[in-house]
Amino acid sequence: MSVWRGDANAGELQHFQVPQQENQTILDLVTWIQRETEPGLAYRFSCRVGMCGSCAMMINGIPRWACRTHVQKVVQGNQVTIEPLRNMPVIRDLVCDMSEFFAKWKQAEGQFRGGKSRYDAVEQLKPDTPKRRAANAAIECINCGICYSACDVVSWNKSYLGPAALNRAWSLLNDERDQHSLLRLKAVASDAGCHNCHSHQSCTQYCPNELNPTGAIAGLKRMAAVAALRGDI
Amino acid sequence: MKYQTHKTDILILGSGGAGLFAALHVKKAAPDLQVTIAVKGLVGKCGCTRMVQGGYNVALGAGDSVERHFMDTIHGGKWLPHQDMAMKLCETAIIRVQELENELGCFFDRNSDGSLHHKAFAGQTFDRTVHKGDLTGIEIISRLMEQVRAMPLQMLEEYRALALIPNQAGDSITAVLMVDMRSGEFHLVRTKSVLLATGGGPTMYRYHTPSGEKSMDGLSMALRVGLKLRDMEMVQFHPTGLLAGLDTRMTGTVLEEGLRGAGGYLLNDQGVRFMLDYDPAAERATRDIVSRAIYAEMRKGNTSPHGGVYISMSHLGADNVKRQFSGMVRRCADCGFDLAGGQVEVVPTAHYFMGGVVVEPDTRCELTGLYVAGEDAGGAHGANRLGGNGVANSTVFGGIAGDVMAADIAGVNHWQDPDMSRVEVEIERAMLPFQKSAGNINAIRTRLMDIMWDDVGILRTGERLHRGLEKLASLKSELLDTGLANDNRVFNLSWHDWLNLQSLIDVSEVVASAALSRENSLGAHFREDYTSIGSLDNSYFTVATRMRDEIEINKSPVVFSIVKPGESLIDDDSFVDSNRERSQ
Repeated sequence: MSVWRGDANAGELQHFQVPQQENQTILDLVTWIQRETEPGLAYRFSCRVGMCGSCAMMINGIPRWACRTHVQKVVQGNQVTIEPLRNMPVIRDLVCDMSEFFAKWKQAEGQFRGGKSRYDAVEQLKPDTPKRRAANAAIECINCGICYSACDVVSWNKSYLGPAALNRAWSLLNDERDQHSLLRLKAVASDAGCHNCHSHQSCTQYCPNELNPTGAIAGLKRMAAVAALRGDI
Repeated sequence: MKYQTHKTDILILGSGGAGLFAALHVKKAAPDLQVTIAVKGLVGKCGCTRMVQGGYNVALGAGDSVERHFMDTIHGGKWLPHQDMAMKLCETAIIRVQELENELGCFFDRNSDGSLHHKAFAGQTFDRTVHKGDLTGIEIISRLMEQVRAMPLQMLEEYRALALIPNQAGDSITAVLMVDMRSGEFHLVRTKSVLLATGGGPTMYRYHTPSGEKSMDGLSMALRVGLKLRDMEMVQFHPTGLLAGLDTRMTGTVLEEGLRGAGGYLLNDQGVRFMLDYDPAAERATRDIVSRAIYAEMRKGNTSPHGGVYISMSHLGADNVKRQFSGMVRRCADCGFDLAGGQVEVVPTAHYFMGGVVVEPDTRCELTGLYVAGEDAGGAHGANRLGGNGVANSTVFGGIAGDVMAADIAGVNHWQDPDMSRVEVEIERAMLPFQKSAGNINAIRTRLMDIMWDDVGILRTGERLHRGLEKLASLKSELLDTGLANDNRVFNLSWHDWLNLQSLIDVSEVVASAALSRENSLGAHFREDYTSIGSLDNSYFTVATRMRDEIEINKSPVVFSIVKPGESLIDDDSFVDSNRERSQ
């Protein structure tokens, strides 16, 4: 097993022999190394089951959740290489700094702004309208950063908001309860926004939750074009 | 040892449902207050609120009522809950769910007419659990997280709280000593008030569900400043944790309740549906009953290769199971198991702490300036927590804490002086493993988990609890003599493993002591040598304190402030049998 060790300044692959077992994920391998041979190895995880999105890393060059990647599915000739996620600054070893990723979420107006309060009843809303379906289809993002790490446009253009933030904006723009559409459309149609996407579809290809950020971004482009024609933004 | 000092009006420890709701409510009530959230992982990404599968109990359905929700909570908790807290929980859940929907943008599942969908959940007399598929926690915490991250407040991510620092008199909180895990530097965060919302998480058991960073730091810190902990013998086990061997972190994670509710079978190694021997409700009996039955079957030696039993769904039709439980089926498949068509090994797994700091319903506790909410607080659930009341508890009381903290510090202009001798002692404590020669920390972790599982687990006896306490004492001194191989403090997970173990052993001793003192079998606590539930009219709760390394357990009578055993706020026959079970 080759594991990238280092920090924001420099690093290199270090090689370890690890025992193979029947039930074993990449997170288990990393844990074994830290517990048994290299107590200083830094990695991040929390839930262990693909709900928190803390443990994503590059596994043989592909961004994946360590906790849900069975070793047998990725091992190549008895060898696996793991590195920190691409497109994020490294803190140490396999741990990345996600603060820019979340700053862009905010920049894309990725938070709900409703018109009602906690003292109002929950709104009666049919679950099968086209808008609600579009909002729902994009909702199960756990902000693991895999799409952001897979995106070539992010690596070329550091200001690009990236697929996760734009996917969230798309979900909100389809949420009939939200009152913030124009501001959000302006944010996502900005220089850093949806028009940067080249539809390479890496985000969609690698999303472990099978979301379609490329489709969401295409939707944003159409919505922004219509709003621009109308003179709304 | 050097440390940096910061100041913030309010410091929130933890970023689950309780911590994030508190932050929102403080900022809404008093936008000018400086609020800091400090958390062991990333804000909103670590902790257990995110892992809620079932849903959120709220009396919003036509025909349901707060009183009925309350009675279900009292019956589920075996008359042990703090009744005013339980009532506050049930009342406020309504406002909180409306807040989640209307202000934060959660979208819970709807019926086809657009009204909220309420699902049935075990142990309740009404279908009142609102949910978002089987991933309700992700929806709640993601929406909370994006709101909080958009606010002007300070986030200390990957900061570990080491100690609550009171003033010299020991009656008010003044600061929290922390370590920045990324740099290894110590920080003293001085503050006017602190919310303890680190979550519980019984990860001291061989099989456990909570996220990996959970290690009872909150209750361990509370013990060290002399706070009282109640109901510490009450540890909830979930019957169906995934079992894949001890070398994989996936072991212990929950396979959801709904699998049993939908008609899943539990089978022993001979393929026998053993639950029929234990309870007429078979697999659909409550969590505690099923957990005890599986454990008993394991003790008989009727076990699967890894020492558990099997869950089997295939008789319901593999395609049907795949459709109904897509998330669970996919998770099992990623780990190499076929849940829809085959059999998956399962084992009971430690899930939730009903016990916690003794608090008032407004989240205040004995230490002025300290507030406690979520799993760190005891009282709302009594001897057993209903599925769906966990996330209700953290979000309800987190929000209340925010309101109360903002009001309490309005006009407080002075900063109390921390007891500096404590700061020194606590830094020394944290640095201890760097002074000792390197040893095998993982072996200590394994032994702790064995002790708790074998001697302080699902079925208890006085003899085993005594033995467990002796072993814990020697393990504790062994840990204090075990050092680290690596003296670099930067993102040193092994150092944090050591600190985690210290918190876990501290709290494990309290669990075992409380369990020893309760000589009856109530809710989640089962004594093979005292199988009677005891007199409900004379119900008491245990209260643990620690003075100079000695744990003291006292018994305090339950105050039936709203309803007495035998009475009900609901005028129908739903409550005739308090163990009655309804499942989805």
